[in-house]
Amino acid sequence: MAISTATKAATDALAVNRAPVSVGAQEVHRWLQSFTWDFDKNRTKYSTKYKMANDTKEQFKLIAKEYARMESVKDERQFGSLQDVLTRVDAANRVHPKWNESMKVISNFLEVGEYNAIAATGMLWDSATAPEQKNGYLGQVMDEIRHTNQCGYINYYFAKQGQDAAGHNDARRTRAIGPLWKGMKRVFSDGFISGDAVECSINLQLVGEACFTNPLIVAVTEWASANGDEMTPTVFLSIETDELRHMANGYQTVVSIANDEAASKYLNTDLNNAFWTQQKYFTPVLGMMFEYGSHFKVEPWVKTWNRWVYEDWGGIWIGRLGKYGVESPASLRDAKKDAYWAHHDLFLLAYALWPTGFFRLTLPTAEEAEWYEANYPGWYDMYGKVYEEWRARGCEDPSSGFLPLQWFAENNHPIYIDRVSQVPFCPSYSKGASTLRVLEYNGKKHSFSDQWGERMWLSEPERYECQNIFEQYEGRELSEVIAEGHGLRSDGKTLISQPHTNKDGKLWTLDDIKKIGCVFADPLKAL
Amino acid sequence: MSTSSNAYGAGIMAKTGKAFADEYFAEENQVVHESHEVVLVLKKSDEMNSVVEEILLGDRKADNPTLVVEDRAGYWWLKATGKIEVDCTEVSELLGKNFSVYDFLVDVSSTIGRAYTLGETFTITSELMGLDVKLKDLEKA
Repeated sequence: MAISTATKAATDALAVNRAPVSVGAQEVHRWLQSFTWDFDKNRTKYSTKYKMANDTKEQFKLIAKEYARMESVKDERQFGSLQDVLTRVDAANRVHPKWNESMKVISNFLEVGEYNAIAATGMLWDSATAPEQKNGYLGQVMDEIRHTNQCGYINYYFAKQGQDAAGHNDARRTRAIGPLWKGMKRVFSDGFISGDAVECSINLQLVGEACFTNPLIVAVTEWASANGDEMTPTVFLSIETDELRHMANGYQTVVSIANDEAASKYLNTDLNNAFWTQQKYFTPVLGMMFEYGSHFKVEPWVKTWNRWVYEDWGGIWIGRLGKYGVESPASLRDAKKDAYWAHHDLFLLAYALWPTGFFRLTLPTAEEAEWYEANYPGWYDMYGKVYEEWRARGCEDPSSGFLPLQWFAENNHPIYIDRVSQVPFCPSYSKGASTLRVLEYNGKKHSFSDQWGERMWLSEPERYECQNIFEQYEGRELSEVIAEGHGLRSDGKTLISQPHTNKDGKLWTLDDIKKIGCVFADPLKAL
Repeated sequence: MSTSSNAYGAGIMAKTGKAFADEYFAEENQVVHESHEVVLVLKKSDEMNSVVEEILLGDRKADNPTLVVEDRAGYWWLKATGKIEVDCTEVSELLGKNFSVYDFLVDVSSTIGRAYTLGETFTITSELMGLDVKLKDLEKA
C-alpha cells in the first residue's frame, strides 16, 4: 500500500533522529529546574525568626508522577496483605491480648500525630522559599494524609477482625479523662503546629521523625511480630517508607538556615526544647507500651532507646552537625535517666489511674518481674514489691473494693501533672528525672517535673494553660467522671479500661467504682 | 552472630544489668558522640530480599566490608561506615524487570544519615549533603 508524502517524510526523519520512547523521571526533574518561581510574597500563619535560603534541595528528586506511582504501589501491597492473607489466617485473633491493648494506644495516638503533621507541613510549605524544598514539604503533606488514613484503618481492622474492640473503635471519646491524652496532644499537636515555623520543623521532622519514629514505627514492628501481630508491621513499615523523605525535609530545613545569623543564636535552644518536648512523652510512653504491654520481650527499652535515640540519631544526625555549631542537647543527661526509669514510673501511675483509660493493663507476672530486675537492677525494691501488694489486695478483682490510686493516698505520695508536658509524675516515688517545682502565676499554682519544661513555661506561660484532670474534676466522684467522659463500653455500665487482660476475669463496672467512693483532689491546693 | 562494631548487638548492647547501666550512665556518655555510620531499614519484600541477599550480601559484598545486615522480623536492618549504595540498574538485571530507584524507595523504611537519589542510584551517606557536599542534579545526556 502506498504511503503519503507526509508519512514518508516523518518516517525518514525518525530513521535519522529517533524520538525518545520515554523520559526518565530525573530528566523531568532536571527540566523543571529551568522554571523559576518567585515566592517572595509568602503568606504564613506563623512566621519564623530564621531566614530560609532559597536554593535548598529536595534529596530524592521526586516528581508528581513517580510520587503517585510509588504511593499507589505501597497501598496496593499493604491493603492487599491485610484484606487477603492476613484475614484468611485470622491474624487479628493471633495477637497476644496484652499487645492488642498496646496497639489501642499506639495506633490511636499516632493517628493524631499524623493528622497534625498535615497542618505542620502545610505551614512549612508556606514558610519556605526554595521551590525544591516546597516540593519536599508538599509531598509530606500528602504522605501525612495517607498515614492518618492508615492509622485509622488499622484500628478499624483490629476492631472488626480481632479481640476486644472497645478502645480500638472509639478511643478519642475518652480524651477528656484519659491522663495520657493531653500529653500526647502537647507532643503530637502543639509541638508540631504552634509557634515559629522552623521550630515546629525541628519538633516534627528533626526530632519527632528523624529520632522517635524509629522506635515508634520501626522497632515497634519487631515487638508486634514477637507478640503475634503481623498487621502492624504491614502498616507501620509502609508508613515509615515515607518518613525517610520527612527526615530529609527536616535536615534540609536545617541546611536552609545553617548560614543565617539567627541559627547561631537560637538553633541550639530550639533543638534542646524540641528534644526535651518529644522525649518527655515518647520515652516513658513507648517504653511502657513495649515492656508492660507485651508478653514476649524483644530487648530492654533502654537498649532500644540507646541505639535509635542516643547512638544513631545523636551521633549520625546531631553529632555530625557539630562543626556547624549544633551542640549535644543540654537535657540529654536527664533524658537518659528517663530512658532507664521513667517508663517504670509511668506504668505505676498508669495502673493506678487505670479506670480513666481506654485500654486494659496487666500487672507484671513473676517471670516478668525477674526479667525487669535482671535488666534494671533495683526494679523490684521500687516497683515489684508494690505490684505484689496491689495484687494481694485484689486490685484485679471488682469485688475487692481496692483501686491502686488509694495506695498513693495512704502512703502520702501525691500525683502531680507537669504543666508543660502534661505527663503525670509522683515526685516522692520516682526513679526517673522528675522532681517537683511549683510556681504561681496570675493567682494559680503550676507544677513542673523538670527544669527544661519550667524554662519553656517561663518564656511563654500563656502557652501552657491546659487544665489537668485533677483541676478539671476536683471534688468529683470517679464513677461520675468516667460516665461523663465516655469511659464505658456499649452496655453502658462496664468500663472500657480494665486492670487485667484475663478473658475469664470479671470486668469492672461503674457500680464497682462507685462503691469505693474515690474523689478527685487537686494536689496543688494542699501546698 | 556478627562481631563487627556495626552489629545490632555490638558494644554496650552486648552488656546486661549493672554492666550495661555503668557504661550507659558513665560521664563520657552524657553527650552525643559524632558517628560516621549510616543506618538503612528495608521493609521485607520480594524485591528487597533479593537486593539484600543477592547484591548487598552477594555480588557487592566485597565493596563494603563494614556493612552489617540483620534480620529484625519484618525488616532488614543495615549499618555501615561511610555509605551504602544501591544501583537499581543492577537490581533490574537481577529481577529481570524494570526496577527504578523509585521502585526501590517503595520499601525503604528508614534512614539515619543523608539519603538521596541520583539517576538510578540510591545512596545513604554520612556526608553532610547540601552543607559539605553539593547535591547534584542529573547531568544532561
